[in-house]
Amino acid sequence: MTKIKEHNVNSDFAMNFGPAHPGSGNFAIKVEMRGERVLKATADPGYLHRGFEKMMEYREPMQNAVMSDRVCVLEPLQWNLVHAEAVDYLMGYEIPDRAKHIRVILAELSRIQSHFIWYAVLSLGTGFMTGFNVAIGYRDYILDVLNLITGGRVYPAGYICPGGVRKDFPEKAENKILELLPKIDYMRKFMLKENPAWLARFKDVGILTKREAIKFGATGPVLRGSGVASDVRRDDPYEIYDELEFEIPVMDEGDAYARFNVGMQEIEESMKIITQAIDRIPKGEVKTPNLKPTVKFQQAKGEIYIRNELSRGEGAFYMVATGQKTPYRVKIRGPSFTHMIPIVEHLLTDVDYADVPAIYWSLYQCPADVDR
Amino acid sequence: MKLGIIKEVFKNVFTKPMTVLFPFEKIEIPERNRGEHSFDIDTCISCGACARICPNLAIEMIDAPQELKKKYPKTYPQIDIGKCCFCALCQDVCPKGSIKLTTNVFLATFDKDDTVRSPMSWNK
Amino acid sequence: MSRKDKQNKNKSIEEKLIKDLSLKLDTTVHYQKERRLWISINPDQIVETCSKAYELGFEHLSTISVTDWLDEGKHEVTYHLWSYSHNHLLTIKTKIDRKKPIISSISSIWGGNAETCERECHELFGVKFEGNPNLTPLFLEDWEGPPPFLKDFNWREFVKKDMYDQNNPREKVYFEVKK
Repeated sequence: MTKIKEHNVNSDFAMNFGPAHPGSGNFAIKVEMRGERVLKATADPGYLHRGFEKMMEYREPMQNAVMSDRVCVLEPLQWNLVHAEAVDYLMGYEIPDRAKHIRVILAELSRIQSHFIWYAVLSLGTGFMTGFNVAIGYRDYILDVLNLITGGRVYPAGYICPGGVRKDFPEKAENKILELLPKIDYMRKFMLKENPAWLARFKDVGILTKREAIKFGATGPVLRGSGVASDVRRDDPYEIYDELEFEIPVMDEGDAYARFNVGMQEIEESMKIITQAIDRIPKGEVKTPNLKPTVKFQQAKGEIYIRNELSRGEGAFYMVATGQKTPYRVKIRGPSFTHMIPIVEHLLTDVDYADVPAIYWSLYQCPADVDR
Repeated sequence: MKLGIIKEVFKNVFTKPMTVLFPFEKIEIPERNRGEHSFDIDTCISCGACARICPNLAIEMIDAPQELKKKYPKTYPQIDIGKCCFCALCQDVCPKGSIKLTTNVFLATFDKDDTVRSPMSWNK
Repeated sequence: MSRKDKQNKNKSIEEKLIKDLSLKLDTTVHYQKERRLWISINPDQIVETCSKAYELGFEHLSTISVTDWLDEGKHEVTYHLWSYSHNHLLTIKTKIDRKKPIISSISSIWGGNAETCERECHELFGVKFEGNPNLTPLFLEDWEGPPPFLKDFNWREFVKKDMYDQNNPREKVYFEVKK
C-alpha cells in the first residue's frame, strides 16, 4: 500500500541536508529537528538517477563497458571489472594471465585513490581543510599513472573490457607504479596519525552493531568496521586474488572511527597486492583471441550474478542474455545503496546535528551508485 | 608531538609545491591520452564502423562537399565533439587507423556550433 | 595443500551443502557454477523459503531484481542471498503474473534493507509487495508515466512528446533512429 509517512509530531522543523551542498555530495537527507537534535532522517535519493540498467538494454557490451565507469565516478576501474566479468562468463571467454594481473593492479590502484577521497571528504565534512587538500593532491599522482595507462585521468572508458584489457601496459608502466608506492605510503601514514580533533569527532559516533550490520546488508569497510570478517576477494575470489596473500582488517567497535580505520588499513593491503601482482606479471597477450573489436553477444545465453569487492563494499552485476545483440536485463547492485538508505536512516535517529556529516561520510557513500 | 610538527614545517619550507604554474609550465600529457580526434580522410575506406560503435551517436557519415566530390566520392565521418564521451572505441574499431585520439585537451569554445568537426576540416 | 586438493575438498563440501539445502528447502537446488546455486519456487512460498534460508545461514540479502519476460507474460523476481558461513550465493527465482504483479514482502525478515530493495522494484517495474509498509517513490520525482523499466514502455516516444527540440539539428539523431 502506498501512503505518506507521518510527520514526527515532536519536531520543530524539517530541513534538507543536500543535494546541492558541498558537504553532502549529490544526495539529500531530510532531517527532522528539535533544536540541535536530529530526531529522524529520511534519505531522498534520485538526484543522480540516470537509468543505467535500462540504458544498457539498448547498447552492446563494448559500449556498456564505457558506460560502466559512470556507475560510480570515484571507482570507475572496479566497475569496469565487474561488468567485464559478467560478459566474460556469459560469452565463455578465457582471459589471458597477463590481462588478469593488469586488471587486479588497476583495480587496487583505483581502490587506493578512492580511499584517499574518503579521507578527503571526511576532512571536508568536519572542517579540516588541510586533510582535504593533501589527500586530493596525493590522489593526483595516482591519476597521472592511470592517465598513462588508460588514457583518461578519472574515466578509463572501458579500459578493462570484456575479454581482457583494451591495451597492454605502456613501456615502464610497472616502474611508474612502483615509484608511486612510497608516495602512497607517506599519505597513508599522514592519514593514520592520531589527531585529538579527529578522535573527538569520530570516536563513539554512529555505532552500528554486528547484528544490525548483517541485517541491513552492510558490506565492505562498514561491515568489517562492525566486526564481521568478510571480503569478497577472499570468500568469493575472482581474477587472481586466490593466489595472492593479503590480510583483511577488521575492527569490532562499529563506530565511525572504526569504519574509517578499516579503510585506511586496507590501503596497506592493496599496496601488498600491487607489489605481488607486479612481481608475478607474466608476458603475453592481453586480449582473448575470439574478441574481434566488438563482442558477438548473440552467442551468449543464460544469466549470471557477479560479485566484486569494490572500495565501498560489494558491487554486483546481474546480467541476463537471450541471444540478442544487447543484454536482456541488467541489474546493478551498488554498495552504497544499502549504506545510504536503510543504514543512514537508522544511524541518524536521535543524534546531534554536528555529528551528521561525520556519520554520513563515515559510511563511505557514493550517490552515483545509489541512484545509478 | 610538537617537535614533530616543527620538523614537518622545516621539511616543507624547502620543498617544491605540488602544483605547477600552468601557462608557463606544463605537466606532460601521455601519448595514450584521449583528447581531440585526428582524422585522415585519405586512408578512410568509409566502412562506417566508427559510426556504428559510437555509444553517443556522435559520429555521422556524411557526403563530401560538392567541389570535392570527385576526389572523395564516398561518405566520411563527421564528429560532434560536443556529444563525444572520449571513449576511443572508434579508434579501436577503425581497420585502417584513420581516426586517432590526440593529446589535445583544450576544447572549450564560445560557440556551440564549433564543436562539429566535418571530415574535411582536418585536412588543412 | 595444493590447488587441486583444495578444489576437490571444496567440491565435496559443495555437494553436501546442495543435498542439505534440497532437503530443508524442499526443492531441487541447481548448481550453476562454483559458489552459485539457484532454486525456483512458487510465489506464495516466498516468505517461508526466505525465512528458512535465513535460518540456514543465508543472512545477507544482496539484492532483489525483477526481469520482465514480455513474451511469457510474467515477471521474474529474483532474490540474491549470500551466506557468510557457507560462502555460497543462493538465487531464489519466482515468476508472477505480469497483469497482476503482486507478491508478499520479505521485509519481516530483512527489515529496512528488503524494504528499500522492494521500493525500487515497485517504482521501476510496478510490482506490488504486499506487507511492505513503505512503497513511496524512491528515485523518480513527480513521475506520471507507466513504470519506466517495463519492456513495453517506449521511452523514446515518451520523451519525444515534451523534450524533442525540432529546431535543434543536433538532437535529430537521438529521436529519428531507424532501429
